[in-house]
Amino acid sequence: MTGRVIVITSGKGGVGKTTTNANIGTALARAGKKVVMVDTDLGLRNLDLLLGLENRIVYTIVDVVEERCKLKQALVKDKKNPNLCLLAAAQTRDKSAVTEEQLKDICDQLKEKFDFVLVDCPAGIEQGFQNAVAGASEAIVVTTPEMSAVRDADRIIGLLEAKEEIKSYKLLINRYRPNMAASKDMMSKDDVVEILSAELIGIIPEDTGIITSTNKGEPIVNDDDSLAGRAYRNVAQRIIGEDVPIIDFEEEAKLSNKIKKFFSKFLNKGKEN
Amino acid sequence: MSDNIFAEIYNRILSLFGQNVKDESKNTAVNRLRLVLMQDRTNLTPEIMNRMRTELIAVLSKYVELDKEALDLNIGQEGEQMALMLSIPVIRAKDEAEIEQALKEEEEAKKAEAEKSEEDETDVETSDDDKEETQEDNSEENQDSETSEGTENDVETSDAKENANSEEEPTSKPEEAEIEFEKKPIPKIEKNKKEEISEE
Repeated sequence: MTGRVIVITSGKGGVGKTTTNANIGTALARAGKKVVMVDTDLGLRNLDLLLGLENRIVYTIVDVVEERCKLKQALVKDKKNPNLCLLAAAQTRDKSAVTEEQLKDICDQLKEKFDFVLVDCPAGIEQGFQNAVAGASEAIVVTTPEMSAVRDADRIIGLLEAKEEIKSYKLLINRYRPNMAASKDMMSKDDVVEILSAELIGIIPEDTGIITSTNKGEPIVNDDDSLAGRAYRNVAQRIIGEDVPIIDFEEEAKLSNKIKKFFSKFLNKGKEN
Repeated sequence: MSDNIFAEIYNRILSLFGQNVKDESKNTAVNRLRLVLMQDRTNLTPEIMNRMRTELIAVLSKYVELDKEALDLNIGQEGEQMALMLSIPVIRAKDEAEIEQALKEEEEAKKAEAEKSEEDETDVETSDDDKEETQEDNSEENQDSETSEGTENDVETSDAKENANSEEEPTSKPEEAEIEFEKKPIPKIEKNKKEEISEE
């Protein structure tokens, strides 16, 4: 078996790389794929928290590299889904503890055993990014409809395009606020796609459920009622190759905006007078 | 105050019919982003742009009297193609005698320091066409871009205002022409432009 190695990256921090990783990974595993997630954010590991696996980690990627354990021993199985594994980052070391070659070697070994190897990339464009990208042949660039995130995504896309090993990259717009996009207070998905001229793999709406799901250590894709969870499941399906249409949140929002405006107009009038 | 109330009522009536009258900040974001990404992707830093601008002024001043402070040079995008947008407010065209004199002066200056003026010559032929084509496209884009550039330019432009008036000998010392460009008044001009537009 030769699995696909996909790096999830963004340039800017805080746009939801790790959340995306946890959710896409879980969704792919739910769809019956064998998935391993590799956290390469040495010193700032968080993927274990989002998956609720923080208490089960015995060995980390650094232990594998420094041969204190075998690769297999360092893989932590998910609580619910036996198809899903995590290779955690070390919390006590920095980015220099693992080299590009070592990471590439780990990815090569993992893709023999798994359908998908999802690499969680640290923020920035320095060595941590170079390491994370080293073993991957595909990339998902996470951005939000904010200027700083889009600018950084553009930079990352430029760097990815320069890498021969990266065969394709797709754009994921996270924390989308369809209400604000519909009222033109925020860039729309079309604006972002046009500016970055990249292919879109999905849009995840802003969802307070992400916070509560993180609190619980359970990815939101497991919540069947959540809109963000649904969007993440769709992304996973598109990765597998199914043709799932992107949900048009804006159309829904436009309608609800109009209704809200209509009522607030009368309410405001009452207040002013 | 009464103005505000009327404006508010007007806006409300418009918005009843689905018209959007408020300031759409996403357009500002898109325009600012486009510009900054152009700069990121190319290596046309504000300094290089400023240099290009001052050299263009030196060339164009031979033929027309132009509003140097309002001249605007920007990187833009037309579809996939990157484009340089140049907007040149012309105060008046120079007559033949003036042009001839300017050209003579230029040649004299060239003889004086033959090495320094290589690039200026090539720009002469293209500049007039550019002006006509880009003047229209540019009016919108100017407003958004100026603020970001303004801060950097202010540093260099403190001295040598006197040179700004020396149009009769614009090419005598091309290297010095660089600092004659005064950038500070531009935000004011742009503001006025904005007001005009909003009133319409």
